[in-house]
Amino acid sequence: MACAHCGEDCPPAPLRWSDKDFCCAGCRTVYELLAANNLCSYYTLDERPGLKVREVELPGRFDYLDSEAVQAQLLTFRSQERARLTLPVPQMHCTSCIWLLEHLPRLNPGIVEARVQFLRKEISITYQPEETSLKAVVQLLASVGYEPQITLAELGAQPHRASRTLYYQLGLAAFAFGNVMLLALPDYFSFVEELQAGFGRFFGLLSLALALPVLLVSARSFFRSAWQGLRQRYINLDFPISLGLAALFGVSTVEVLTGRGKGYFDSFTGLVFFMLIGKWVQQRSYDALRFDRDFTSYFPVAVTRLTPAGEQSISVKELKVGHRIRVRHQEVVPADAVLRRGAGQIDYAFVSGESTPVARTSGELVYAGGRQLGEALELEVVREVSQGYLTQLWNNPAFAKQAAPRSLETYANRVGRGFVALTLLLAAGTLGYWAPRDQAVMWRAFTSVLVIACPCALSLATPFALGAALRVLGRHKLYLKNSAVVETLARADTIVFDKTGTLTDTSQAAVQYQGRALSEPEKQLVATAAAQSTHPLSQRLARELAAEPVPLQACREFPGQGIRATAAGGPTVRLGAAAFAAAGSELATPAPRAATPVAGGDADALAAPETHVYVSFDDLPAGYFTFGNVYRPALPAVLAQLGQRYRLAVLSGDTDAEQTRLRAIFGPAAQLLFRQSPADKLAYIAAERARGHTVVMVGDGLNDAGALRAADAGLALTDSLTNFSPACDAILDAAEFGQLANFLSFARACLRAVLVTFGLSFCYNGFGLALAVQGRFNPIVSAILMPISSLSVMLVATVLVGWAARRHHL
Amino acid sequence: MTIIFLLIGISLLVALTFLGAFLWAVRNGQYDDAYTPSVRMLFDEPEPPQ
Repeated sequence: MACAHCGEDCPPAPLRWSDKDFCCAGCRTVYELLAANNLCSYYTLDERPGLKVREVELPGRFDYLDSEAVQAQLLTFRSQERARLTLPVPQMHCTSCIWLLEHLPRLNPGIVEARVQFLRKEISITYQPEETSLKAVVQLLASVGYEPQITLAELGAQPHRASRTLYYQLGLAAFAFGNVMLLALPDYFSFVEELQAGFGRFFGLLSLALALPVLLVSARSFFRSAWQGLRQRYINLDFPISLGLAALFGVSTVEVLTGRGKGYFDSFTGLVFFMLIGKWVQQRSYDALRFDRDFTSYFPVAVTRLTPAGEQSISVKELKVGHRIRVRHQEVVPADAVLRRGAGQIDYAFVSGESTPVARTSGELVYAGGRQLGEALELEVVREVSQGYLTQLWNNPAFAKQAAPRSLETYANRVGRGFVALTLLLAAGTLGYWAPRDQAVMWRAFTSVLVIACPCALSLATPFALGAALRVLGRHKLYLKNSAVVETLARADTIVFDKTGTLTDTSQAAVQYQGRALSEPEKQLVATAAAQSTHPLSQRLARELAAEPVPLQACREFPGQGIRATAAGGPTVRLGAAAFAAAGSELATPAPRAATPVAGGDADALAAPETHVYVSFDDLPAGYFTFGNVYRPALPAVLAQLGQRYRLAVLSGDTDAEQTRLRAIFGPAAQLLFRQSPADKLAYIAAERARGHTVVMVGDGLNDAGALRAADAGLALTDSLTNFSPACDAILDAAEFGQLANFLSFARACLRAVLVTFGLSFCYNGFGLALAVQGRFNPIVSAILMPISSLSVMLVATVLVGWAARRHHL
Repeated sequence: MTIIFLLIGISLLVALTFLGAFLWAVRNGQYDDAYTPSVRMLFDEPEPPQ
């Protein structure tokens, strides 16, 4: 049975409301809210548009939005009766999302207008500050499942601005191209010679006037990029392009001004126009796949500071050593701090990858980046944010991708460099050959070599082929950061897997029970209690037991600890962490490795291969459930395909208990490494790369962030696409894991397609050069050859990638 | 044939008008989002509250 809101499987006893089934209270609340406001079209526009509401309501979570300083940063416009701001909402994914988000005014009359920019996943909201507040608006968004991602500029978040420059440049180039072509027409036909004789000079000057803004405005980005490359002693593809464009414009200007000819202004404007189209295509594919979130998104924007006067919401940047702060359930610890009051259950999933919460008691140090699960904590800051562990982690040079190392350089740039050398050689040769023979031909031949060598087709091949590849892969839920990742994937020879969450599927974990046998009513009670919680382990347990629900007298969930439920006229069950289940009794922890590891952190946590959930009845311990590893069903097939071509390796944080099973799946050649800390994983990847291998790391984006970042291409496997890791280069929906080998093979096919178009473009260039060195290259040849080569390269690149996609059934 | 000067002048003027219109449209944000409006126009009018 599917939930009426989010479409996920419902537990055996779904919540019901007006004849609809819901998987959890969160989903039902959203449905109720929408139904009450007559907004149920949301469910008819697209199939299962809802997102499972996972976040627990936190009182005061958005309090910082009332602060003047925060509002001043977020609002783009503000007056007495109007306020306006744009918020990123990464969760939006379908037509229904657009519809609901644009109908926000019906949920809160204080909102005047809500406009969605779907491709950029942003919503612009105009509201009346007198009627409602920023906090209320954000709370409303969060309550319908679209919590905006708020990062403040002062934390280094880059506000995304729509770039209109390219459109201006493109429009100008198109205008000039069309008009210069008309003016050049008489030049090509002999029957209008008379016209040419009378007006040739006028046409030439007019073309020059039209082409000048193209040179100054439209072609500017090519020159700038080439210049930047030169300053870093690096020749990129834009350098030969700039050389060609400059030669083309210079020759034409001289010809027109001296009255010797009409120049190549039609070719010049046409080239710029076509290359700008290439840029536009590139930008559009990036826009659709934008995930430039940085780690600042993971930092809390504001913290609750405890002062003698009471609670105060301050910005993270204002946090000083010695401040007392309060961190509530599900909030991230913003800075390294000492725990002063409360029982800490810190989840370091984002930093170290251990999803099992670590218990911390009063007086112990809590590192930044941990997420508190459970009651509110009182902490004393011991180190400021900028020196915090998390910032250090991300600022670690080992994590940063080195600027343009050999393996990251795109083919286009490398080929472009060879091109420059060849061109200059040929041009010099032409000069040397013609100098003693014919001065006039010498100059014409020399400049035409520079002109025809402009590798515009090269610059078009990559955006069109790889842009098309990005879109094809995006349709199959593999999202790449940019087109360079396609090349890296295609060149990879080593694939390294993380184990937990990557090879194994935590939602399918095998559940085993150890302890005294449970009677049927007890089983039912446990199942019913577990179903009340949204915690993944509880959900898994409820699904596993699949028992008839029993009526509950009382039920209470203690976040981060467990659930306590009392059956009507029956026993009380406690379900959860060892300490919680055993409360009130002298239960000795049944196994040494059991319970959530305390103190020491990572090393101990790594030793626990399985997760336990303890059960006790009326404070008497009964036993515990063990959640074991289950490998993804597609794994053997994927590995069989990958093993033929790639070197495989597994890095696991767990013990080697699984070694025999993994060896059986991976085969004898694969490297299996166990008890790897995040730093070990990072070091392994770095060593492989140093040996000259191109490494693709496949992880879950959380416990291997460092390794993902260190690899040539880091591929994060995730069950919910909104869980982005800033470290990775690609995100793959876990449901599509079985296609991994196919995707890699497709990436190789795309790279081959690029190489074919390179070859094609060389044919044109070779033909043009052959004419050029003989001094027989003229405006007509240029006007025919240049557009044809550009257009055919665009066409061939797109068609080849489309064909590769069809062959790979993508 | 001096009429050609006039004709070309007029044709350029027309073309410039269109270029101006295009630049105005870009400036106005017409090209900022080329996807959402295509979806938005298909939404029905809000149903009358029951």
